[in-house]
Amino acid sequence: MDNALLVSLSHQLASYRAMDVISNNIANMSTPAFKREEAQFQQYVEQLPLAEGQTEPQTLTFVQDAGIARDMSMGQLTRTNAPLDIAINGKGYFEIQTANGPRYTRNGHFALDSQGRMVTADGDALMGDGGELTITPDDGDVHIAADGTVSGKLGQLGKLKVVDFADDSALTKEGASLYTTTQNAQPVENANIEQGTIETSNVQPVVEISHMLEVLRAYQATASLTQSQEDLMRQAINKLGSVQN
Amino acid sequence: MRALSIAATGMQAQQTNVEVIANNLANMNTAGYKRQRAEFEDLLYQNIEQPGAQSSDTGTILPAGIQLGAGVRTAAVYRVSSQGDLKNTSNPYDLAIQGSGFFRIQMPDGTDAYTRAGSFGLSPDGQIVTDQGFTVAPGIAVPANALSVAVNAQGQVQASIPGQTAPQTLGQLELARFSNEAGLKALGGNLLAETQASGSPQSGVPGSAGYGTIQQGYLETANVNPVEEITALISAQRAYEMNSKVISAADNMMQMTARLGGG
Repeated sequence: MDNALLVSLSHQLASYRAMDVISNNIANMSTPAFKREEAQFQQYVEQLPLAEGQTEPQTLTFVQDAGIARDMSMGQLTRTNAPLDIAINGKGYFEIQTANGPRYTRNGHFALDSQGRMVTADGDALMGDGGELTITPDDGDVHIAADGTVSGKLGQLGKLKVVDFADDSALTKEGASLYTTTQNAQPVENANIEQGTIETSNVQPVVEISHMLEVLRAYQATASLTQSQEDLMRQAINKLGSVQN
Repeated sequence: MRALSIAATGMQAQQTNVEVIANNLANMNTAGYKRQRAEFEDLLYQNIEQPGAQSSDTGTILPAGIQLGAGVRTAAVYRVSSQGDLKNTSNPYDLAIQGSGFFRIQMPDGTDAYTRAGSFGLSPDGQIVTDQGFTVAPGIAVPANALSVAVNAQGQVQASIPGQTAPQTLGQLELARFSNEAGLKALGGNLLAETQASGSPQSGVPGSAGYGTIQQGYLETANVNPVEEITALISAQRAYEMNSKVISAADNMMQMTARLGGG
């Protein structure tokens, strides 16, 4: 009987979900190589039993969350001039060796650890074609060429491993800018690496804020629908329940 | 409702960002200061529906799952160790390092600290010391009757003494360098200390392979670029504002929910 209320409720829950996704996008506005996401919804159709005298099928449609679509477009490349900030201009991911196995990232901010290995902000090693990349103080200022070759004063140190996947929207986010997947990593042949540059997040604040307002207004409309539905019921109860003298 | 707490993490991160920028701007004129940058990363994700899960028994799979993020965190605040400009001061005890390396400073508690701020002076007993009076290793004493002190690019300290034709060599300055300079811990007072992350120091003579050279009468200025910092400040401030808008929108939604059924 309270179908109208339940339909509104399904939309309200969906609005909360959409809001959570938008707020995560906005919070990660300054996270390098963060990819924005959007909640996607679908209808959930319920067949109602036919009441007396009805011939056409009666259905009721609820909102249900179907998934979260990730926008894989590239963020802007900004210059930082830090020698170990590297960006992939085009498709591909860096491979990171973590305690739980290989992980992939486009966040190209790296630093050195006490042994001189190139590591992420969490201390996990960046992989080159021949394993970890180690830079000693004797190498001086390192140069990373467009094809990913890392060289110092004393010669070549290694080559960055850049990989790609058949379906990169199916990568699972793990936090800390890392992705994990069961797909096989394919090496990218013509990777274009830029040193001293970082890929920013592809979140566009204006778009996110306008989505946020859209969700807010839609929620408002449903809330007032719920309110009027409730008023209707209250009136019905009062009318029908009042004892006639 | 996650939106509230997610936006709060965003505001916290941007606040850290503003603090780092403020510190850079405040140290714009600090000799040897290296600018810092805050680095962010996304927090863990909650898997609600795994991408690639089967959506039917014929083997169709979900193209995109549902993973809800929990916001953002500051992953690191790191030092950008690029060379600052060298400024001529004409003070014989102002030494700048051109290239990599740090002066080693003997702290009063017996430990070592490292600095690139070479604004040195003399202690009452003639030792070359920092602004705070800590001895610059290996401890070079300048005789009271020295007419002038010269420090060459290789870090040799020589003094001309009245009555002597050849300059007298007083000592040799050494530079220390680390596998990971960004891992040094800032102690304040332009001093840095060794940590597990930086690795242990290797010392060498200025000008030898991999070490910088010494410039007497110069100071290395901070590598802060004010225009860059102000631009970063504006975008951090806007990002902070945006996150606060999310909080008020989420609050608005919750208010409406609370009002439902109020009659």
